[in-house]
Amino acid sequence: MKWITARRRHPLAGYVVVILALALFGVGYAALAPTSDQAQAQTLAAEAPSADEVDIAEGKAIFDQTCASCHNYDGSGTYDEDGNVTNGPDLREVGPAAIDFQVSTGRMPSMDPDTQMPRKPMAMSEEELDDLIAYYNDQIRTDGAGADIPYEVPGSAPERANFEDEESYEEALAEYEAEYDAYIEGADNTDMGMKLYLTNCAHCHSWSGGGGALTDGRWAPEIHDASPRQIYEAMVSGPGAMPMFSDGVIAPEEKQELISYVKTLQAEPNAGGIFDLERVGQVAEGFIGWTVGLSLIIACAIWITAKQRAHD
Amino acid sequence: MTENNNDNNTADDANERVVGTPTDTADVVSEATPEPRDDHNGPYLASETHKHPEEQQRRGEKIASLWFVIAFLSGIGFLVSYFLFPPNAAGEPAIGDPQISQYSNMLLGGTLTLAMFGIGAGMTVWARNIMPHYEVASPYDELPSKDEEKGSFSEFFMKSADESGFTKRPLMRRTLIAAMLPLGIAPIVLLRDTGPVPGDRMKETRWTDGMRMYVEGTHRYLRAEDVENDPYGMISALPALDDEGYPHGMSLTDQAKSVILLIKIPEEDWESGMNEKVSEDSEDTHLNWTHQGIVAYSKICTHVGCPAALYERTTHRILCPCHQSTFDAANAAEVVFGPAHRPLPQLPIGVDDEGYLVARGDFNEPTGPTFWEYAED
Amino acid sequence: MSKTTQAPKALRGVGNFIDDRFHLAKTGEKNLRKVFPNHWSFMLGEIALYSFIILLVTGVFLTLWFKPSMVEIVYDGSYERLQGVPMSEAFASTLHIDFDVRGGFLMRQIHHWAALIFVASLVVHMLRVFFTGAFRKPREINWLIGVAIFSLAMIEGLFGYSLPDDLPSGMGVRILQGVMLAIPLVGSYISMFLFGGEFPGEDIITRLYMLHVLLIPALLLGLIVAHFMILWHQKHTQYPGQGRTDKTVVGTPMFPAFAVKAGGFFFFTFAVIAGLSAFVQINPIHLFGPFTPTSITSGLQPDWYMGFMEGALRIFPNTLDFSIGPYPILVAVLVPGLGSMGLLFVALGAWPFIEQWITGDKRAHNVADRPRNAPVRTGLGVAGIICYGVLWLAGSNDILSETFSIDLYLTTYIFRVLVIAGPIAGFIVTKRICLGLQRRDRETLEHGYESGIIQQLPSGEFIEVHKESSDETTHVLENKPAITSTALEEDETDDRGVENPEARKPKGKLRRALAHWYTKDNVSFEGVAAHSGHHLHHSADGDEGAH
Repeated sequence: MKWITARRRHPLAGYVVVILALALFGVGYAALAPTSDQAQAQTLAAEAPSADEVDIAEGKAIFDQTCASCHNYDGSGTYDEDGNVTNGPDLREVGPAAIDFQVSTGRMPSMDPDTQMPRKPMAMSEEELDDLIAYYNDQIRTDGAGADIPYEVPGSAPERANFEDEESYEEALAEYEAEYDAYIEGADNTDMGMKLYLTNCAHCHSWSGGGGALTDGRWAPEIHDASPRQIYEAMVSGPGAMPMFSDGVIAPEEKQELISYVKTLQAEPNAGGIFDLERVGQVAEGFIGWTVGLSLIIACAIWITAKQRAHD
Repeated sequence: MTENNNDNNTADDANERVVGTPTDTADVVSEATPEPRDDHNGPYLASETHKHPEEQQRRGEKIASLWFVIAFLSGIGFLVSYFLFPPNAAGEPAIGDPQISQYSNMLLGGTLTLAMFGIGAGMTVWARNIMPHYEVASPYDELPSKDEEKGSFSEFFMKSADESGFTKRPLMRRTLIAAMLPLGIAPIVLLRDTGPVPGDRMKETRWTDGMRMYVEGTHRYLRAEDVENDPYGMISALPALDDEGYPHGMSLTDQAKSVILLIKIPEEDWESGMNEKVSEDSEDTHLNWTHQGIVAYSKICTHVGCPAALYERTTHRILCPCHQSTFDAANAAEVVFGPAHRPLPQLPIGVDDEGYLVARGDFNEPTGPTFWEYAED
Repeated sequence: MSKTTQAPKALRGVGNFIDDRFHLAKTGEKNLRKVFPNHWSFMLGEIALYSFIILLVTGVFLTLWFKPSMVEIVYDGSYERLQGVPMSEAFASTLHIDFDVRGGFLMRQIHHWAALIFVASLVVHMLRVFFTGAFRKPREINWLIGVAIFSLAMIEGLFGYSLPDDLPSGMGVRILQGVMLAIPLVGSYISMFLFGGEFPGEDIITRLYMLHVLLIPALLLGLIVAHFMILWHQKHTQYPGQGRTDKTVVGTPMFPAFAVKAGGFFFFTFAVIAGLSAFVQINPIHLFGPFTPTSITSGLQPDWYMGFMEGALRIFPNTLDFSIGPYPILVAVLVPGLGSMGLLFVALGAWPFIEQWITGDKRAHNVADRPRNAPVRTGLGVAGIICYGVLWLAGSNDILSETFSIDLYLTTYIFRVLVIAGPIAGFIVTKRICLGLQRRDRETLEHGYESGIIQQLPSGEFIEVHKESSDETTHVLENKPAITSTALEEDETDDRGVENPEARKPKGKLRRALAHWYTKDNVSFEGVAAHSGHHLHHSADGDEGAH
C-alpha cells in the first residue's frame, strides 16, 4: 500500500484512475453482457401430446386456480357494467397458440393485468401446460376458433431438471438440436425471410430482434430468447398490441423463412469485434466514440503535456 | 487554481530575451543563440532549460526503447496476422466466415493498435525524460502594420491601378465585366440535365384498377379471405408487377411510391373520419374504399418518407419509427401525434372474380413526403 | 556533455540542395523555434487533424474496391448468409471489402470510427476556443474557417454514411430527400435534380460518392491547410500566467520537443481509433441488409453528429404548419430540418462579431480568457451545449423510452419543454457559478488560500490559517481582465445636454442594453491588493506560505 500512498498525489494519478475505471468498465461489460446464444428453456414436443398423455381434470384444476380469477371460469373474461374488460379478456376465441405463447413465455399468469408483462420463466411445468391446453381445447375454446399450436415448429430446448439422468437429457437435447437445425436450415431463401422480417416485424422489434418502443409506455420485446415456436405463435395470435399474421397472409413455409432469418442473424458472430454494443447501432456507437474514444485520446494528450516535476 | 501553478520559472527570464522574430526584422535569430554555458550545450540558455539528470535520461531511454520494441514486434505481428488468414478459396470461405472475420479483424486491429500505441508512448517517454524541459518566449506579430507601410502599399496599389487604365477606362471595364456574366451562369445551366422536372410524375403510382397485390417478399397474390379472417391482421404489400430486369419485379423507385400497409380492422372500431369523402371531387368515402374491414394505406410517412409501419392493433395507431408521426388507422389515417402534415394516402381496394385482393384505382393523394405541389390539380 | 553532433553528410546535402533553390535557412530556423504553449486543451484540434489524415488514408484504401453503383445485382460473394439476395452493387462491393479483402473490415471500421472521432474532436476543439475567447481579434477569420470545416465535416459524414446503401443509410438519404421536398416552391425540383428523378432513382449513390471522395474532401483539405497556416502565422493563444502577455507567447519550441510530442500524439490517436475498430463493431452493414425504401427498423438513428437534427425533426409539432391555398408550408420539417442547422452555423459564425459589437473591444487578444471571467459568454456557451444536447438526446428518444420504460410521447413532451427551459436554466446557473468563482478568486487574492491548518489563538478562538498564494496564482488573479463596453462609456447626453444621436437610435439602444446585460454582474477586483486580507495577519508563519 505504501507504493500507492507514495504515488497517489502524482499529477497523473487522477488520469490513471480514470483509465483504470474505464478499463474495468469495459471488462465488466464484456463479462456481464448477455451472449447471443442463450440457453433456451422450454418444451420439447415434436407433435401434439396424445389424449392419454394429458389429464383434462388436472387442466381444469389449474385453470380454475390460476386463470379463472381474471378470465372467468368459462374463459369469458371479466367486464365492468359498460362492457369494458377489467382484469382479463375473453379467451374463448383466441386459440391454443395464444395460450401456449402467453404461458410458455411466463407472461401469464400475470399479477397485474394493467401493465405489459415482460418475458419470465414459465410458472408451471410442461405437463401442467399440456393439461391446461387440453382442458382449454376441450371445454373453453369455441368451435376450434383461433390458431392451433404449431407443434411441427421446434419449441425450446429441454431442461436438465426435467430428466432423471444425464443420459436421457443429452439424448433429448441432441434430438432437439437436430430438429432445431433442420427447421432453421430448411429455409433457403434469405431474401424472402429478410423482406418479410424487415417489412413486417423490424419496425417494432428492430432489425436485430432487440425490440423497440411503442406508444403509451408499451414496448415491443426483444425476441432473442423466443423459440421458433413462440415466434410462430406470436405471429398467429398477436399478443398485446401486435397485429396478427395468419397462415393465409404469411404461409407456414414463409414463416419458416422469416424465423430462420432472424434466428440465423441472432446466432451470427460479430465480424467487427467482440463488442457488438447490443446491436443497438448508432446511438451506442456515438456514445462509445465520445466516452471511450475521445476520452482515451484526450488522456494521451494529458500525458504528453503533463507538467514535469523533475526540477521542482 | 491556474493551469500553470507548478510551472518552472523560466518565464521571468524569458521575458527579457527574444526568441524567433517577426517576419520583417532581421538577424534577431542569431542573437537568440548565445554562447552555451558549460553545463548545457543545447540551443537555449542553460538558465532557462532543465536538463534531466543522466540517471533519468538513461531510464527514459530504456523505457522508450522497450515501447519501440513492443511496437516493432506488434508491427511484425500485424504482417503475420495478414497472412495468417488466407483469402477465400472457392467453397472455402476464410474471412468470409463471420467468426474467422472477427478473429482476423481483432488480430489485425489489435496488433495495429499496439504498434501505434508503442510508437506514441515511446516518443512521449523520449520527449519527457530525455529532452531537456524548457519553455521559451517569443513575440506575437505586431498588429496592424505601421501607418507608413500601409500608406506606401495603398499608394503603390492605386498608382498601379491607374497606370493599368482599369479605373480610367470605363468602357473596357464594363465590357469585361459583361463578358464574364454569361460564363458565370453557364455552370448552372449545365446542371439542368441532372434530372427531369417533377411534372405530375410524383403524383402517380403504378397501381391501377384491378391490379392484384403481392405479399412483400413473396410473389404470392394475396386473397381477400387471407386477411378477412384475421381479426387484427396486418401485412405489407406491393402491386403485382413483374418488370424486366428487377429482381423484385419492380424498381426501388416504384416500390418507394406504391408500397401499402393492409390492415384488418373490426367493423365496430371504425371512427367518423371514415365517412368523409376521400377527396373534394370524389363521391367515395374512406369507408367505401375498404373491403370487408380491410383498409390499405400508403406505407410511406407523409413527414419525410420513412416507412410508417409500426401498427398497434389495440389502439389502431400507425407509428413511424423515425420521427414518431402517428396516424389513426381506424380514422382515415388522421395524424394524431408528431410532425407529419397530412394523413397517409389511402388506396381503394376490392376483390376480383377469383377472390384476390385488387386495387380499385390509384391513391387519393400523392404518396411520400409532403411537397409543395402535392395538392395542386 | 558531448559537443553538438555534426549534421550527417546526407542531411547537409539535402539541406543545401533545398536552400540553393529556396533560400530557406533563416525561415527554417525561425519555424523550428516556433513556440507552442503546453496544455492538453491546445491539442484537441490536433485530434481532428490526425483523424482527418486517418480518414484520407483509409478512405483511399476503400475506394480501391467500392463501386458507387445502384444497379441491382444478385450477391454471390463469400459472405454466405446473403448469397442469392438482390442488392445494389454499392452494397455488394462493401460486402466484398468486408469479407473478401483481408484487412478490409478493419479499414472500414477505422474509417467509420475515425469519422465519429473527427467530428467529436471538432466539437471539443470549438468549445475550447469558444470558452477561452480564443476566437477574438485577431482570430475571427480562423474561427469562421473552423465553423466551415465543422459544417462540411457533418455533410461529408452524412454522405459517407449513405454510400454503402444499407438499410439505415438509405433511410438517412430518404430523410434528407423528405426535408428537401418540404422547401417551398422549388423543393421537388431540387430533389429531382439531385436524385436524377424520383427517390431513390439510380444516380444518387454515384453523385454522393463524387461529393464524398472528391469535392468535399478537397474543400476540407483546403480549409484545414488555411486554418493551419493562419494558426502558424498568428501563433497559438495561451492561458494567463507570468510572462504570458498579449505581446509574448511562452511555450515549448517546435523542434525537437513539440515535434516529437505531436508526432507521438498522432500515433496515440491512431492507436485509440484502431483499438476501437479492432474490438467494437461499428455500422455492421452486413447484418442490416441492403436498403429497400419499404423496410424500416425501430431504433433508427443517424450517426451522432446528425442526431441534433434528427431530434429536432422528432420533437417539432405539426401545429405550426399552414397552407397557402393548396400549397403547404411545412414548418415542422423546415424549421428543424434546415433551420436547426442554419441556426447552429449562423450563431457560431456570428458570435465573435456580435461580442465585439457589444463590447466595442477592438484590441487584439492573445491571452485566453478564463471562462469564469466572461460569465455571459460562458453562460451562452453552456446554454448552446444544453440546447444541442437536448436535441441530440431527443434524436434517440425511442431508445431512451425503451431503455428506461418511459412513455414514448411523454419523452417528446419532456424534450419540447427541455429544449426551451434547459438552455435558460443552464445560462442562469452557469453565470452564477462563474460569478461565484470570481468572488472566490477575489477572496483568494485578498486572503491567500485556505491551508487546512487550524490554529487556536491565545484568546481561545480557532482560525484556519490562510497562506499566500504562489506568485503565479497571484499574477493570474491580479490580471483578471475587466469586462467593459464602450457603449456604456459614451454619455447619453453631451456637456450641453444634447442627446448623443448614436445612442438614441434603436440600434444604439439595443447595443447599450446588451452591453449592460453583458457586463452588469461582474465582480470587480478594483482596489483589491494581493494578500491584504486580515486572515493572513493571524498567522505568524503566513509568509512562508508562498513558495
